[in-house]
Amino acid sequence: MQHPFAFLGTVSLLLGLAAGFIMHRSDFCIAGMFRDLFLLRRTVMLRSFLLLVIATMVLFEAARLLGLLSVYPFPLLYAPSAANIVGGFVFGIGMVLAGGCVVGTLYKMGAGSALSMTAFGGMIVGSGLYAEFHPAWAAFLKKTTFFPGKVTIGQILGIDPLFTVLAVAVPSAAILLSWYRRDAFKRTAFASGYLQPARAALLLAAISAVSYLLVGMPLGVTSTFTKIAGWAERVALPEHYRSLTLYAAVPLNFVHRLAGTAPLTGGPGPVYDALAAIQVPLIIGIVAGSALSAALLGELRFSCRVPARQYALAAGGGLLVGLASRMAPTCNVWHLMGGLPLLAASSILFLCGMLGGAWLGGMLLVRFLGSGIASVAGRMCMPDRGAA
Amino acid sequence: METIEIDIRGQLCPATLLVALKEINARGAQLRAGAVKLRFLIDNRDATGTIPESAANMGYGVAVDRQEGWYRVEVFGRQ
Repeated sequence: MQHPFAFLGTVSLLLGLAAGFIMHRSDFCIAGMFRDLFLLRRTVMLRSFLLLVIATMVLFEAARLLGLLSVYPFPLLYAPSAANIVGGFVFGIGMVLAGGCVVGTLYKMGAGSALSMTAFGGMIVGSGLYAEFHPAWAAFLKKTTFFPGKVTIGQILGIDPLFTVLAVAVPSAAILLSWYRRDAFKRTAFASGYLQPARAALLLAAISAVSYLLVGMPLGVTSTFTKIAGWAERVALPEHYRSLTLYAAVPLNFVHRLAGTAPLTGGPGPVYDALAAIQVPLIIGIVAGSALSAALLGELRFSCRVPARQYALAAGGGLLVGLASRMAPTCNVWHLMGGLPLLAASSILFLCGMLGGAWLGGMLLVRFLGSGIASVAGRMCMPDRGAA
Repeated sequence: METIEIDIRGQLCPATLLVALKEINARGAQLRAGAVKLRFLIDNRDATGTIPESAANMGYGVAVDRQEGWYRVEVFGRQ
């Protein structure tokens, strides 16, 4: 192919537009799904999350069996490590405090949320902060790696992935079917143009599968966050930047047959490589898709009149998310919408850590907001004209 | 009946819901007696589902109206 980056970028932009639009319409907030499990004992959105994972799992496996995948598993998915659990735990805390995970923050930014823009800034700072201790963390990750060279449960057990997929997908499908029959996916919402989360889950599973087929990997955005941090450090602190080994790493190196015979390479350094060619249009697409959805509904509005305490939480949470995305060593979208459907052991560990983090994040959130929320809400008393 | 208006536009969940629940709990007796009605102004789409659901579970009546780019959620006692 003559212009592989243009092809990859165009596909990613279109997928991002669709994902942003869908996420905005259904408020498909992964952080909220896990947070509300602990905070409100609400599970309706988690049912759609399971549907997303199982639908993606079936689509990925069908594509593998049909020989449509360039690589299996996809690149930047590693053997399980304690770093996955610790990273997931920190990520879980951060996403709850930030009010959204990495893509949740992007689609909320697109609709005009100043809090999500603040969280995005925190994620960039957190990504850069990780570079300061990357060598030590990389050594920890390597030292605590189980089953070196094995990524999926199938590889660890030495069996064909079809069997592990069937072992998980068949009982899960029975559960999903029972929920469907009880109408348990349906969510009551009064938002205009609302898309039920179960439908959003199926559409997002299709988007993830198309990305794996055409781009060679599922949705991912946080390497670009690190690139932005690296670029800022290179401009502001050039000597210090040169001492940071993270930005010299090039972990992506694979041949994607739809993009030609030359390997696609990339890393967290602030250069235009395959990761930038894929992720930058995807990020733009998610933000623009959400903005388009909001604009069509007449709901696109920049809102910044928010209590300072919530800005502080968004910034701090975003910082933890950015930091944890490198520690984990990838973000929740990569793990949950990509690795988990492949039954990657690292993604299962990430999920376990994230659950603990979401629980703790919920506790911290109530503690931080609890004493101040009444004083920060702008309010006034007035007579009700209709009832007078 | 007095209407207490709480403008929480710009906030994300769960802060939107927590603010609403705090106000509802603080004025539970007045709400049930029909003395006051709470009116929340929100632009968080998720909260158009969570606030009415929570308030209804607590036994209150709820009405949601779409405005120009935001929503008005009213919580009142059922009499």
